[in-house]
Amino acid sequence: MLQKKICMLGAFAVGKTSLVRRFVESIYSDVYQTTVGVKIDKKIAQTDDREVALVLWDLYGEDDFQKTRWSYLKGASGYLLVADGTRRATLDKAISLAQRAREEVGPLPFIFVMNKCDLAPDWDLEPDWEARLAALNWTTLRSSAKSGEGVEEAFLQLTRKILAGS
Amino acid sequence: MTNFLQEVLTRLGYVFLEYQGNAEFRLLSPAPRWLSEVWIIPGAEGSIILVAEKSPFLADFLDKADVLLSSDDNATCQSEPWVERSPSGKEIPLQALALHVNGKRYLALQSPETQFKERAQLLQTARESLLEHEKLLREIQKKEILLHCIIHDLSQPLSVMSVTLDCLAEEPVSKKARRLLDLGKHASDQQMSMIRDILQVFSSDLKASIDAEKGADFTANLLQAARKVIDAFTPVFLAKTVSLRVDARADPSANWLVRGESTRLERIFSNLLENALRYAPSGTGVTIGLSREGEFLKAVVDDEGPGLPADLSPSQIFSLFSKGKETGGKAGLGLYFCQLTVERWGGAIGCESRAGGGSRFWFRLPVASQGEKTPAGGDAPREAATHDTMSIGKGPMRILLADDQEEIRILTTHQLERRGHHVVTVANGQKALEALQREAFDVILLDEQMPVMTGLETLKAIRKQEKKHGHAVVIALTGYNTDPDRERLLKAGFDGVIGKPFRMKALELMLRGAADTTQANLSAPEEEAAAPAPGSVADLLERVGGDERLLRKMARTFLRDTPKRLAEIQKAIRAKRGEKLAFFAHALKGPVGIFGAEEAHQHCQDLQEHGRKLEFSEALRIYDALKEEIAELESNLRGYAGQKGSPRSGATRSGKRRVLTSKRKSR
Repeated sequence: MLQKKICMLGAFAVGKTSLVRRFVESIYSDVYQTTVGVKIDKKIAQTDDREVALVLWDLYGEDDFQKTRWSYLKGASGYLLVADGTRRATLDKAISLAQRAREEVGPLPFIFVMNKCDLAPDWDLEPDWEARLAALNWTTLRSSAKSGEGVEEAFLQLTRKILAGS
Repeated sequence: MTNFLQEVLTRLGYVFLEYQGNAEFRLLSPAPRWLSEVWIIPGAEGSIILVAEKSPFLADFLDKADVLLSSDDNATCQSEPWVERSPSGKEIPLQALALHVNGKRYLALQSPETQFKERAQLLQTARESLLEHEKLLREIQKKEILLHCIIHDLSQPLSVMSVTLDCLAEEPVSKKARRLLDLGKHASDQQMSMIRDILQVFSSDLKASIDAEKGADFTANLLQAARKVIDAFTPVFLAKTVSLRVDARADPSANWLVRGESTRLERIFSNLLENALRYAPSGTGVTIGLSREGEFLKAVVDDEGPGLPADLSPSQIFSLFSKGKETGGKAGLGLYFCQLTVERWGGAIGCESRAGGGSRFWFRLPVASQGEKTPAGGDAPREAATHDTMSIGKGPMRILLADDQEEIRILTTHQLERRGHHVVTVANGQKALEALQREAFDVILLDEQMPVMTGLETLKAIRKQEKKHGHAVVIALTGYNTDPDRERLLKAGFDGVIGKPFRMKALELMLRGAADTTQANLSAPEEEAAAPAPGSVADLLERVGGDERLLRKMARTFLRDTPKRLAEIQKAIRAKRGEKLAFFAHALKGPVGIFGAEEAHQHCQDLQEHGRKLEFSEALRIYDALKEEIAELESNLRGYAGQKGSPRSGATRSGKRRVLTSKRKSR
């Protein structure tokens, strides 16, 4: 079976681990548990006509305490870039991480997800954030690890994008 | 491996594997439980394991380690910790060590659970604190926005009241009416002061600005501030037959300069005097005393009242929202503001009961040397703080006024024209630019918030054209009357800033470029009494300084503009356009407030709120109620505007007093 390595990138506490757990185990917990190091998970994804074994590398969120180790991204087929709609600064962080990833490992397929859409009324974003990302030519989705909205779609869309490029 | 070494390594939590070639590793000791759990392997010593298949992380790590170790036969390479999930769902932290020893390749694994948990706990705490901090900052930002909205809404009607009182002050009135007018003006000033106190206490921006001042070498004259506040308070003290004076021992020739800013210093005296007056019995006196104490100057405010309340300690008296149980203050902000400000300037504040009766409130501030600088404008009023940058003659001036509130335009024009100035008014920045193309002006007054083109945008356009036409004097009128807002506007390029509500005299002072504050404190000349306003319209006439012609003009304006504003409100509700709803409700709120239509004013306020919150379910119902109120108001105003139509008969729906109700009922 085809196997693809996918990394989760984003600022801390944007919900990367929660998205993985929702996708892999259909589980969600409201309790924030910070990720130390890397968490590895596997999931067989069924895209249009084939099965792909996804190896999900849930990297810790970058902040002042832990800097992203770009070597983890080497060998990855793509990445899911995550931001938290309730924290404006996480979008800026996502933009800088994408730029850095390109510098470190070259162009890789990725999908951007604005997570926590169950809290959309509390989102703290500029009204034109989607237009800003569209101008960067990003594929953007809204997701909620809590409700499950957009989660599977995000991973499958990324898988299709990876397969289309391979 | 010897039994001894095996035992030591097992106790240290390591398991060793030796590379066999073909991606295979051989266990050199029995697998510990955690390894069997995560990989489900036969745990016996000597078992062969395909490590890269079991763990994608290790496959990646070993690839990198090979590269690193290939150049050094006796080197080691350690991985970051990572977490693998066992088939049962248990998360197991792992760490790996790759090493070459005597030409052989080994892999050591351990599960550093304790260190991992400690590290996770540390990071968790730090990140939760960061999240809390971010949340708090967002809450503060929301509060700031809400606070500014509230202040803006409070300031608008106060602005009209203030200008109206200025109009009245210029009319010939009796001595008794003059005294009442002074009281009214004082109350209006108090209200302004209260708004500023609220901003001062709750605005983090302002706290930051005070912080910034703490280290700055600003100075203010303590004696001058005391005298200025006494001048302003004398009518109010007289009305309560309480005497007010500065201790005669304060030598005017001595150095009374302290670290601080004059406007806030005056507010400290004002708050202490208000407090003293609240408790001072009629026939007693309040005295301000000034003295030097080492490196500090001390000011005391002594009253002959009942002394400090027994239910509060001195420190509680200065705390936020503190009010005495008996006579009580207003909101409990005034003394808190005093403490906040004095302490930020490096001083101290306190209070005590006096031995002979009454109480003493005191504060002391560090002495400033004569050489230290004063803030721009020195002891001049805040509105005049920047007009040293202006050079305007003393004669009549050509003034361009841009403000979207027509009532403000009418009242301000009325005032300025009475002073002999030529005034052109426009409703937005775009129209101001057009007017500037047609004629030249000595001064341009720009409201900050206007539709089509804001004050800031207009200023930028004016400044761009200056290369051709020379520097234009542009003054900002703003509802956001805070120090940071002033700084922001001055930084943006305005020559001066006047916060709304503004006193006509302050505007006049700024127009003249006269920094002498004593002029600002001169009371209006006593004149003979004028005939009282007609009884049935007295209330309304009072609102416009007794000028019937002005009243008619305002009524006509209101009748002309209101249907349009109502239609826009209705349209915004139907189209669910919250921003437009808030804008037009706000635009209508000012005028109905001027005419004292309380319920209509409340409906406008409600619609504005609904617009801001994008809530439309109740908006149509409120709109219908507003329309009904407006219809009554229009009906009554038509008579004064010289238009057809008479006041409607019948009882009012609410039964509350409304504008011109007495006239309507008498018909």
